[in-house]
Amino acid sequence: MLFNDYPFLLGFLPAALVIYRLADPYPQARIPLLVLLSLVFYGIGNPPFILLLVASIAVNWLAAQAYRRFKIPVIITAAIVLNLALLGVFKYSNFVLSNVGWLTGAPMPHVDLGLPVGISFFTFHHIMYLVDLKRGKAPFYALDRYALYISFFPQLLAGPLVRWSEVMEQFGQKVYSPGWQRSFAVAICFITIGLVEKIFLADRIAHNIDNVYAQAFYGPVTNGDAWSALAFSFQILFDFSGYTDIAIGLGLLFGVKLPFNFNAPFRSVSIQDFWQRWHMTLMTFLRDYVYFPLINARILPRRFLPWQMHAATMITMMLCGLWHGASWTFVLWGMLHGAALVVCAVWRRYGPRLPSIVGWALTVIFVLATGVIFRAGSLQSAWNIFQGLAYLPSLERGKHLLSLLIVPAFAFALPASQDIIAFLTQRPRPWLFVLAGFALLVILLDLGERNVVGFGYFNF
Amino acid sequence: MTEWGRCLRACLGTLGISAALLLAFLLAVDPYDSGKFGILGIVGVDDRNTVTASASRARDPNFDSAIFGNSTALLLNPIPLSQATGLRFVQLSVVGSSPTEQLAVLDFFLRYHAHVGALVIGADPGWCVHGPGEPPRPFPYWLYDTSTLGYAGRLMSGAAIEHALQRVSIGLGLRPRKDPTGTFNPEDVWPVGQFFAKNGPADPLPASDAAGRDVFPEVEKLDRVIKSLPADVPIVLLVPPTFAPTVPQPGTLQAEEREACNRALQKLVAGRPHSNFVNYRVDNALTHDRANWLDFIHYRPLIASKISEGIAASIRLGGAAKIDF
Repeated sequence: MLFNDYPFLLGFLPAALVIYRLADPYPQARIPLLVLLSLVFYGIGNPPFILLLVASIAVNWLAAQAYRRFKIPVIITAAIVLNLALLGVFKYSNFVLSNVGWLTGAPMPHVDLGLPVGISFFTFHHIMYLVDLKRGKAPFYALDRYALYISFFPQLLAGPLVRWSEVMEQFGQKVYSPGWQRSFAVAICFITIGLVEKIFLADRIAHNIDNVYAQAFYGPVTNGDAWSALAFSFQILFDFSGYTDIAIGLGLLFGVKLPFNFNAPFRSVSIQDFWQRWHMTLMTFLRDYVYFPLINARILPRRFLPWQMHAATMITMMLCGLWHGASWTFVLWGMLHGAALVVCAVWRRYGPRLPSIVGWALTVIFVLATGVIFRAGSLQSAWNIFQGLAYLPSLERGKHLLSLLIVPAFAFALPASQDIIAFLTQRPRPWLFVLAGFALLVILLDLGERNVVGFGYFNF
Repeated sequence: MTEWGRCLRACLGTLGISAALLLAFLLAVDPYDSGKFGILGIVGVDDRNTVTASASRARDPNFDSAIFGNSTALLLNPIPLSQATGLRFVQLSVVGSSPTEQLAVLDFFLRYHAHVGALVIGADPGWCVHGPGEPPRPFPYWLYDTSTLGYAGRLMSGAAIEHALQRVSIGLGLRPRKDPTGTFNPEDVWPVGQFFAKNGPADPLPASDAAGRDVFPEVEKLDRVIKSLPADVPIVLLVPPTFAPTVPQPGTLQAEEREACNRALQKLVAGRPHSNFVNYRVDNALTHDRANWLDFIHYRPLIASKISEGIAASIRLGGAAKIDF
């Protein structure tokens, strides 16, 4: 079920709100009901994998309980390995098999298991909790609360990645307590802006560039359209930022504040700055559970610590690339970003200080160029796009290219959506919500055309 | 109520009231002239898109006969066909449509016409698939099916508003409705003398084995529809011509496949009075002459008029008709 289609917006969501409103006065009913609603949400869109999700919750919770009872760390380690193995089987089997086949020259089968939507996200949620449990930082939780941490439907499919400590105590709180109207008003702002980002910004870009990437599959794009392919990074920004904003809004409707995920990344003045503003919850996860353990491990003598840190950066970013998809192009994308982060770190230490505008321009050019590799699907297709940059942009498509100018302008000029919403909701302004009502109507009309496009991060 | 409560009420009230007013307007106008709603008495549409325009034409009581198919049947002019047969033909071919989509339009036409004069169906290669056919594409089945609620649910769209405003303009006399016969003259778009070497016939994949060669799921669906019609309804099934070099060569697998499909189509009308099956996909002087073609599958009016003569003769004489092609 997609956040941007009628069945969710006009069916599931209103029904869930009404049902939850009825349960809200009964504290014991709140968490089980949200778990049930979340499982229904997942089951409608992914019937075959609902059992996988339920089993995943049960096994990990049982592992935590066993650890509580026996205090044997290997239980947690085994559970983490099992989670990663499950992710590996569903997401990386064919990647591994094709590479083994390439290395050995032996024909390898193609495994068609399907990818359970959200598996990358709920696997990481399990890992965050289990690692912190082993570190003695996380307490034990009842099954229903843990199940909700993993399955809470606003964040289940594509995040944001949430630390258990950020939400566990929010679950089960009374939603309809004094002040709930303000939370709901803020939620409406997040949902409206998220839908606008997705439908009127990201999807417009996709409409213009999808055929360019399809063309690049067959050969160099020599008609001047290759320039428009650079806009992919803006598409994925507004696609995922839109999704996250809707998720944050939905969370508020059920009494849960989810973390922000983007902070105007195209206003970054360095690649380090960029990664502190882009998919922030994933970067926090990678920092705390991959990067820090790598630099804290006693691998090299102390005097080589900077080298160890640079290597940790490279490994972390390569894993970040691999997390996005089972393909060497994603690994290369991660490697390039890792290398850029290392260069940036070295430059900050030894190089002259660059004017912010230069740092900004270099960052944008680098992100747009590597975005082509991320999107192209193969190095050859990416190269076909880059070759096409030798040809001047084609202006024949006229007004169709407007979105390729307007959407980046929004990305460069506007602050983060949470800052916009904080400004707009400083005090109640009914006229603003009249506008929001009209905006939602326009959104519903646009969705009525039935050109609903899935969110990009469902694939990761 | 708190100030924030008033904000919520402003948002939801605006959304709810404006959506309800808009839906009421759309239901009153019936943007696609589907006959499922509409209280303003506006007749017809100003719609160039055959995918949506066919509903209005299909339920027009001024017609009793219809031509179905995709763009290769759209080139047949219903007016001379009506003059030649004494029936009242409307053109209901939908550009780019699959057999399943054409059957949806046919079903809609039949629901609005208790008495049917004749049916002409252009069976392009899409009818000859051995399997489930092409994956479904967006097609407004909601416009042609029986569900009024489903139709109402699809009216909240920018396209429906645009169509509704066009219909209001027709109602106010500010713009004319499109020709209700659905006549399409390709030479309005592609002047005489132009030929585009593209759009080869989309012949389906051959059957994987001999047993599968006579299995045509789409033809079977048409068979069920034809059997449900009174026996005296004339039906002409025709295979549209293609540019001669694309006609399957005798002795090839492609020709065997074509023949198998022709046999299956012929069976549907065998023994039915005033009905006929005509295969126009042949290699002759007409189909050889590039001047008769827009591209490999779309023919010009000379060929269209020859086909119309064959249809008229078939309706008069059934299988005994002499086809001059």
